[in-house]
Amino acid sequence: MSRTKKIVIFFGLSLFILLTVFITALMVGRYSISIKDFVGSISTNDSIYDTQRSVIINLRLPRTIIAGLTGIALSVSGLLYQETFQNKLVSPGLLGVSNGASVGAAIAILLGATNSLISFSAFVAGIITVILTVIIGRLFNKSSSISLILAGIVIGGFMSSIMSIIKYTADPDTTLSSITYWLMGSFADSTLEKAFVISIIVFICIAIVLSISWRINIVALGYEEAQTKGINYRFYRYLIISIATLLTAASVACAGAISWIGLIIPHIVRLISGRNTSRSIPLCITFGGVFMIVADILSRTFTGGEIPLSAITGAFGSIIFVILLVIKKREVFSHD
Amino acid sequence: MIKIKNLIFEYNANQPIIDNISFELKPGKIYVLLGLNGCGKTTLIKLLVGLLNLKSGTIEYYGNPIERIPYNERANFFSYVSQSSSNIYDYIVRDYLSFSLVGNMKFYNHPKEFEMKKVQEYASKFGIEKFLNKKLGELSGGERQLISICGAFIQSSKVILMDEPTSALDLKNQNIVLSKLLQIAEEEKKTIIFSTHNPNHALFLDATVFLMKNGKIIDYGISKKIITKGKLSQIYGEEICYSEEMSYKEISFKRKK
Repeated sequence: MSRTKKIVIFFGLSLFILLTVFITALMVGRYSISIKDFVGSISTNDSIYDTQRSVIINLRLPRTIIAGLTGIALSVSGLLYQETFQNKLVSPGLLGVSNGASVGAAIAILLGATNSLISFSAFVAGIITVILTVIIGRLFNKSSSISLILAGIVIGGFMSSIMSIIKYTADPDTTLSSITYWLMGSFADSTLEKAFVISIIVFICIAIVLSISWRINIVALGYEEAQTKGINYRFYRYLIISIATLLTAASVACAGAISWIGLIIPHIVRLISGRNTSRSIPLCITFGGVFMIVADILSRTFTGGEIPLSAITGAFGSIIFVILLVIKKREVFSHD
Repeated sequence: MIKIKNLIFEYNANQPIIDNISFELKPGKIYVLLGLNGCGKTTLIKLLVGLLNLKSGTIEYYGNPIERIPYNERANFFSYVSQSSSNIYDYIVRDYLSFSLVGNMKFYNHPKEFEMKKVQEYASKFGIEKFLNKKLGELSGGERQLISICGAFIQSSKVILMDEPTSALDLKNQNIVLSKLLQIAEEEKKTIIFSTHNPNHALFLDATVFLMKNGKIIDYGISKKIITKGKLSQIYGEEICYSEEMSYKEISFKRKK
């Protein structure tokens, strides 16, 4: 079986699974809706389905859309960072976007801002943090990847310390608990407006990424090879960093800092697709969406409250990861 | 035609790594930069492929100053082979070779039949067809270097610059790489600039030699005239000698004809 064929099959299959879990997510939860009621409530205007329709459209549709898009955004930006920085251990928080966004959200929570203002503040703070990282990285060295990674570590550490100060000053009974809960990640605050905004950001970014999906391979070769093969390396690197930053900032703003997914999904995908971004990016999109929607279903179905997302993505992600690494150990570890 | 005039490059003031070099290269010939480690060979090659910015002096490819050639068009003027690429082990050889064609493709295009045909054609020229579906990491250092060089030819540039492409290889693999390079460079009338610290490579390639020391070109000419005890002692010291003067027989590879 040729490689392209294999990817087409995997993509078709995972797209089908994505649609299936998407619809399933609309039906299951603490208030479960049968298939008959589901079909009735979306295909008719009958008032006997009003409760179901309201649950589906006002509660589950926005959070499932946001879950799917967040999964896509974090997986794709994880892959983009891993390829651009030639380092498989890198996750979307590399340049400080998650730490910065968390600080932005925490400040907004401290000031008693509304739900959407918290998201906005997180989004803006995440982007400003990365801009700061890039500026400081350029002070070290203009074309080295290491200087940028170092700057990311410095800024990330700085943001964590600001976070500690914010937590220290926060009221332990009210704001501190909201901040802590926000940091663990949740889709509970999803609204249709948020779903609309993140849709636009993710669709535009993913469209750009897909259009240059083959070219990202050449950026991944590093400055010397990429530039002498005939592309403007610095331009493409900053373009990719910008897209990955927008995607991560948007998802942290909507759902808090969700760990692991941006690290793990690209690895799982590469085990299937091999290292070629024109094959791995499409799979990252479907796999990331499925993984996050399933994580959201698990977080809101099993207990009366909601299990923090990072607990679920971390637990399941690491188990899946270990299993895959054991299966594919020969390929993964042979060249190190 | 490549014209280099009054090239100076330094990281620290008054410690030039390239110290006022000028020369001209004619198309379709093989040139060897010969010198010890640290003499400036790598820096010179990186300047010639635009990886380092000029401090002073000019580099012109066919009348175009290098800094004015857009990045994608540079791919048609020159290609570059480094000592070894470390970040390519996970790629399939076929995919990796297709990356050389990026300079002449639109930003949204993926390689199609035309591009893959070219990859196939050059792979068979270099005798590496059997590796096309393997990962680069599964190959030996010599095989990988052959693939890097094959990639440089696929790029279809007028000039190919190679920075010590054989320095990490054993004697046999050096011979394989050099023989293939010589044969295909002659077939395709490429201009080759090849840096090495082994004088025998210059003789093997029957090249024009630039002898480098401390960032300067101290002598140049055809290899048979330059690779002599007298000239080479300027950089290698008085102890160098011909193999027949030695108390044992030195081993080397023959050039196939």
